[in-house]
Amino acid sequence: MQASRARLFKEYKEVQREKVADPDIQLVCDDSNIFKWTALIKGPSETPFEGGVFQLAFAVPEQYPLQPPQVRFLTKIFHPNVHFKTGEICLDILKNAWSPAWTLQSVCRAIIALMAHPEPDSPLNCDSGNLLRSGDARGYQSMARMYTRLAAMPKKG
Amino acid sequence: MVRNSKLKQSKLDVRREQWLSRGAVKNKKWNEEDNRLDSVVIKTRKDDDLSSEKINMREIGEENDRSVHHHSDYSDSPSNSPPSLGSSILGGNDSGPHFTGSSSSSSCRSSSSGCRSGSITEEEEEEEGDDDCLDDWEAIADALAATDKQHDQCSESSPRGNVISQLDSCGDRRNELGVGDGDSSVERGRIVQRASMNCRAWRPDDAFRPQSLPTLSKQLSLPTTDRRFGCGGVSWACGGVIPVPTSCPICFEDLDLTDSSFLPCFCGFRLCLFCHKRILEEDGRCPGCRKPYDRDPADNETNVLAGSPTLPLARSCSMISRS
Repeated sequence: MQASRARLFKEYKEVQREKVADPDIQLVCDDSNIFKWTALIKGPSETPFEGGVFQLAFAVPEQYPLQPPQVRFLTKIFHPNVHFKTGEICLDILKNAWSPAWTLQSVCRAIIALMAHPEPDSPLNCDSGNLLRSGDARGYQSMARMYTRLAAMPKKG
Repeated sequence: MVRNSKLKQSKLDVRREQWLSRGAVKNKKWNEEDNRLDSVVIKTRKDDDLSSEKINMREIGEENDRSVHHHSDYSDSPSNSPPSLGSSILGGNDSGPHFTGSSSSSSCRSSSSGCRSGSITEEEEEEEGDDDCLDDWEAIADALAATDKQHDQCSESSPRGNVISQLDSCGDRRNELGVGDGDSSVERGRIVQRASMNCRAWRPDDAFRPQSLPTLSKQLSLPTTDRRFGCGGVSWACGGVIPVPTSCPICFEDLDLTDSSFLPCFCGFRLCLFCHKRILEEDGRCPGCRKPYDRDPADNETNVLAGSPTLPLARSCSMISRS
């Protein structure tokens, strides 16, 4: 059996066990393909993303865990480090700072941390980054909150 | 009178229980405890017997709280008789068989009172073991420092004799600490240690010192490192201080004996040999600290000496493989 597959099985078991431990993350493996995962993460509190539930799509490469998984937002999000159209995430640990010691679960945690602490100096979403860089935190927050309400919250009625 | 003797009997029972539980609970802070104990003794001696008795009777009901045990223990002893205090300390601080005995009895107690589970006592026993290691380790460190000082003073002395006698003295010192009370025992320990400096196997200017004794630099390091490794092994066995993962953090497979003794990076990140090989083939960086692994541990030593010619090479290799 491939090492990546074995490792993903182990992670799957771990996720089943840890489900209670981290209520903000829900990792689900695709029924037919262990290399495809989706995650639901709750927007961190005291951020414009609070109250929203964001969906992430994981595409795990064959060389995992030596290569990082490809992660993108399926839910629209207004964040400097997330591409507004594609959902691509600019996060160092998903690129050159990846370490095989990370797991899908810990990647989710890192993404939640990124949501709470955006890096406006390496933006994928220039509008969002520019708002923050020009010091308009209020503008950024209201935009982000609006998109959280539009895309990440359950529709009423 | 009858009532009085009954009271005394019940008090004795309580004290016995408390002492037993204390023997099991007794941990690394016993030194502090003893100090505290002294102060409590001074305080409670001023109290009259009746009041302390009342306190005891009230506290019999509250067996669940461990701190209560301690407290009532202290206030209890002086009210009975001062000599019994010494004996209880002696028992409490004695090592080995006493603990297993007391913990087993306390677990028996748990069946009756239902406030302490077996797992807790086991943990305590483990902690106890760890503490022993730690004590030992600290004692060795003390001894090492002492020998270092001596080494400065008299460079021709025989350090092996030193270290051994120091180690012995450390053992003595611990016993001393166990028997003695509070603050004075610490001082006594120091005195013992100081005294042991003079009773080395050979004095520096001793003509009878065997010529075959190895030279200084090696001697200073060897015995202690051995001991240290020994301690580490014991503490691992106790399941304690240094966490060694049971499974590889990369592939999540169990680490076997070879793997768990394999330490490829200075940062202390452990992984199995398979994953290490795979990482070397691919990216070559330690998953723990992301520094590049040295290609070959044998080369590594020569690298350090010869200004590391292969280290940059390894880095460039990894760049190529990544791009």
